[in-house]
Amino acid sequence: MKLVKATKSRLVFELGQREKRSLPQILKLYPCVPSAHHVLSKSGRLPDGVANQQLLDEALAEQRAENKKRVQALLADPRRFEPAESTAHLSLSPVELEWLLQVLNDVRVGSWVILGSPENKPAELNAATAPHFLAMEMAGYFQMQLLEALQHET
Amino acid sequence: MAETATPQIQPGIVQTTEDKPKSGLEPGYLVICWNDPVNFMDYVTHVFQVVFGWPRKKAEFHMLQVHEQGKSVLTREGLEKAEHYVHQLQKYTLHATMERDE
Repeated sequence: MKLVKATKSRLVFELGQREKRSLPQILKLYPCVPSAHHVLSKSGRLPDGVANQQLLDEALAEQRAENKKRVQALLADPRRFEPAESTAHLSLSPVELEWLLQVLNDVRVGSWVILGSPENKPAELNAATAPHFLAMEMAGYFQMQLLEALQHET
Repeated sequence: MAETATPQIQPGIVQTTEDKPKSGLEPGYLVICWNDPVNFMDYVTHVFQVVFGWPRKKAEFHMLQVHEQGKSVLTREGLEKAEHYVHQLQKYTLHATMERDE
């Protein structure tokens, strides 16, 4: 995946055949982070802590629903993955790139949580853990490509 | 870290630091980002730049603090604004919380 064209309003990435197949698979996993994952405070010493936590949960749920819709729209739009010889082109606005980063990181962190939040790479993978590890690594790979493109642009 | 005002103690007046109620507008809440082994350093830097509008150097400084010290206090704000920042950081799936500055 590499950035092939950048204007103020669009960034166009070239995806190889494998990337073209795997990106939609990764995006379909969204949302992956359990809704109870985020807490507003560790100490719990906030005024109206319960009510404020509820508000945060609601705001994040709303955000997830909105992102999910955007992912579905992106995957359903044939113009987004334009074929180009043996590759494909993915065109994103800067705003879309930003939420795509959020979505990919949700899949990465969510897969990590499912794996038991390990400190290091699991020593052994099995049929149950391998798909989550692969999703975590692939989401991270796409994230890094997008971040590199952003850094080149600034 | 945010500065703390020096209390002016006058003779004969007993001053207490007991829970003076803080309104939601008073800056008294720390927005903290905690380390985890899953978020990429470049990603964390990017998120700090986007959420706080910081230049890359400042964002990197806080990212490294998270990485090396386990956490970084990103800002000290009133209740509503601190909640807003925590929500923004959690939207990006960073491990962020707000704590009362005591």
